[in-house]
Amino acid sequence: MSFVHSLQSEWLKQRKSLASWMVLLGAFFTPAVIIVARLLHGEGLPALYAADGFWTLLWRNSWESAAIFFLPMGGILATTLMTQLEYKNNAWKLVHVLPLSLATLYFSKLAIILLTLARFFLLFNVGIYLSAVIPALLVSGVPYPKGPIPFTRFLGENLLFFVDCLPIVALQYLISLRSRNFLVPIGFGFLLWVGTLAALSWRWNFLIPYAYTMIDYLRAGNSSKVATPLVDIHLMAGGYFLLFTVAGYWLFSTQKEKG
Amino acid sequence: MHCIEVGGLVHRYGEDTVLGGIDLQVPRGSIYGFLGPNGAGKTTTLRLMLGLLRKQQGSIRVFGRSFDEHRLEILRKVGALIESPSLYDHLTAVENLELLQRVHQCPRSRIQEVLALVDLVGTGGKTTRQFSLGMKQRLSIAIALLHSPELLILDEPTNGLDPNGIIEMRELLKRLNREHGITILISSHLLAEIERLVTDVGIISRGTMRFQGTMSELKQRRHRALAVTVRTSDDGKALRLLTDQGLSVRAEEGQLVLPGAADGEVAAVNRCLVSSGLDVYELHVARNDLESIFMELIEGVA
Repeated sequence: MSFVHSLQSEWLKQRKSLASWMVLLGAFFTPAVIIVARLLHGEGLPALYAADGFWTLLWRNSWESAAIFFLPMGGILATTLMTQLEYKNNAWKLVHVLPLSLATLYFSKLAIILLTLARFFLLFNVGIYLSAVIPALLVSGVPYPKGPIPFTRFLGENLLFFVDCLPIVALQYLISLRSRNFLVPIGFGFLLWVGTLAALSWRWNFLIPYAYTMIDYLRAGNSSKVATPLVDIHLMAGGYFLLFTVAGYWLFSTQKEKG
Repeated sequence: MHCIEVGGLVHRYGEDTVLGGIDLQVPRGSIYGFLGPNGAGKTTTLRLMLGLLRKQQGSIRVFGRSFDEHRLEILRKVGALIESPSLYDHLTAVENLELLQRVHQCPRSRIQEVLALVDLVGTGGKTTRQFSLGMKQRLSIAIALLHSPELLILDEPTNGLDPNGIIEMRELLKRLNREHGITILISSHLLAEIERLVTDVGIISRGTMRFQGTMSELKQRRHRALAVTVRTSDDGKALRLLTDQGLSVRAEEGQLVLPGAADGEVAAVNRCLVSSGLDVYELHVARNDLESIFMELIEGVA
């Protein structure tokens, strides 16, 4: 029961935080850009909206920036910001004198970060739908998109992208819990992201824990920028997540000074 | 019955021993002043008591139970404020309390009760980022009181408060102790600040306890004379007379100085000098005040 109470507390804590606003902004950024672009080039819209495969094309366009940039960078920033709330507010000493076990403290915060990530996915999907519907409503002569939305396929891809993000969250969480200085986890995450971009065509790219959303997206488009991984990257992502989570908990529970 | 019992607490940071075997007992229902200069080891001791530092050596028992074995059970009954306030600055006072109310599962009405207790009811939608240090300190006390603890551990809670705030804090703590029976352990580096508040005192310096007892036991030391100074019409003759009486007298800066003596002995000195035909111009008994006792203790002067 104390885990549920701790979850509620963590949820309230981050509700009005910067990370929460950032997730909202990040989720609607790409859809907003798509809406603006389509409104500016309204003449080609009737043909586009009447074409087969409209939803698949929109899905691919929307995920390009998310998979390469927003998901990795958002994961780095949101996890760091949410974890650093205690350091920023000098509140670890408050948290550690609550009648909660160390496991409850560690996993409830991680659970809220994952929930926030899930919220990003939900809002992003809503944003993609709106980016299809709004131009049709505002530009005369543009019909509602042709063909049904491939829900099952999109849901499956959402799930796989979510799994691809897990190592980023777990490793950023581990580092953010260890470091008082906000710049350390941010700097580490940013460098690893840049390094991953440079190493996408490397045959061992699947060893880099921040690479999976990018590999997943580029591989589906048969891009020459990415080497085809030799293993199942979703399994790799799950494995890294487990490894970083367990290592993070061990480091958290054995630290000499708490707060 | 003791609320807190600490025995042989040793703590080292690398080669530096900051606590050299602390023994401390806080009686149940008391207000215990934990005094010592900055860097004496007060905060380290309190952090060890709350599990914020990993214990290296010694024992800590709270409510008669080992802290190591009953951490959660003990923390349910403890409210704490360690050093500077811990507040989420993007949230209001009510929101800060709300997120802790969820953990403690105390009635929601407690939020307004504790805010009223520290006079912060009217802060509305103001985030704690906009609070003064005094308001933050008071909100931290409210947080510590939210779950109606039996024991309150406060580390220098008056830091940053103005004189009026210090008086209000003192009155609040007295009331909590008197009306709710809360045991309070409060640390400070200023004796004057808490001498009118506490019932028991522990004095720590350089990682060792220099005194522990009731406030009245500490005050008893005040009545011992520190020194007696005498000035007469012939100090040379007076020196010989008093030395002949077996007293340890020395001439110093135009007067005679005797070690501390009881009231009867002081009267006997006066009689001896007058009966020998000397005029006594000045007979002064210098007594200890609490501050000088405190300074003696922390400087290790016996």
